[in-house]
Amino acid sequence: MSRTPAQGGSPEARASALEAQLKEAIVEIAELRARDGLKTQFLANISHDLRTPLTAVITHAEILRDGILGELSPRQLDSVRGIINGGRQLLNQVGEILTYARGAANQLTLAPTSFAIRGVFEQISGLNESLLKKKQIALTIDVDAAPAHLYADREKIAHVIGNLLGNAIEFTPVGGQVWLRASLDQGGPAPCTLVEVGDTGVGIAGEHHDLIFREFAQVDSTASRPHHGTGLGLTIARKLVELHGGRIWVESDLGQGSRFFFTVPVVEPE
Amino acid sequence: MTAVPRVLIVEDNELVTGAMQILFESADWHVAIANSVAAAVADGERHPAALVLLDLSLPDGDGLSLVEPLRALGSRYFVALTGRDDPETRDRCLAAGCVDVLVKPVPVRELLAKALAWRV
Repeated sequence: MSRTPAQGGSPEARASALEAQLKEAIVEIAELRARDGLKTQFLANISHDLRTPLTAVITHAEILRDGILGELSPRQLDSVRGIINGGRQLLNQVGEILTYARGAANQLTLAPTSFAIRGVFEQISGLNESLLKKKQIALTIDVDAAPAHLYADREKIAHVIGNLLGNAIEFTPVGGQVWLRASLDQGGPAPCTLVEVGDTGVGIAGEHHDLIFREFAQVDSTASRPHHGTGLGLTIARKLVELHGGRIWVESDLGQGSRFFFTVPVVEPE
Repeated sequence: MTAVPRVLIVEDNELVTGAMQILFESADWHVAIANSVAAAVADGERHPAALVLLDLSLPDGDGLSLVEPLRALGSRYFVALTGRDDPETRDRCLAAGCVDVLVKPVPVRELLAKALAWRV
């Protein structure tokens, strides 16, 4: 495709050359968008297809663990538990890719209900209990200033908090602190529930505060931030928060810990 | 009902049916497997199972389309097995007549405990 700038000739000739280039560019953009859509759909399909064999691996390993086919020796049991843990970790990551792909294809919908944020905090902290214990990290929950109820998609809010707390624990050294806090924020144009997930971990440099919410971005390069996962956790969190009409951001600096905030508009059930 | 209850597992992935078969046989169920909508209907016509586990996406159609015909042939309990852990899928399965919706990988202990209730 030629992309020579329209130079020389009469003004009419230059105008028609520019017009031709514009048309070409429009066609190209449409093609790229269509291909991007196909790729997103491919990602959704492939992650769905990956789940099935993976779930079979986990179920077979659980059958062994539970002694349904005979008792295992303690060392065999350790090994089988390793298969289950590895399988579940992989399944979570595949699930994250699937959620991302659905979000990118605008296939995520909200199913709002009325619920108390405390229950979500307790659920997520329960899921992270063994990890917190292992790293001797203290978790505090503060909902004293929170609205009594949230009207939102509970599962998706839990997903956001789960991703943020997972990061907080991962990037906080042994013996540190993390917290989950919710309050009513009436400072903006409309009242919001403000949720904070904070930690005393390694922190994030100012120039990375926007980058970390972008697709496929991981702030790496230093050995101080070893990380796992798909690099999609914060992108998904942003998508799910924005789907609710809220906003997400971070306040942090290197070595100063991180405080992630997001808002969910206070809406009355219809 | 016979002394040994019968479960029909409708699922097209052998890796999954293999695991389910071991589980249900360990709990003294007679296990039948169908890998398509057509095979499930054929099985129901021969010998209706008390309990039917349904995968949602089968090569020749939606697993939920089996609830009505298999119920008419004598099956009693329908349980959806799905990879999708979202409220829309859950509502769709319950609306179609399933008594429960289990998200894969189904926790082994949970499935065995629930299976006891469906033996009647």
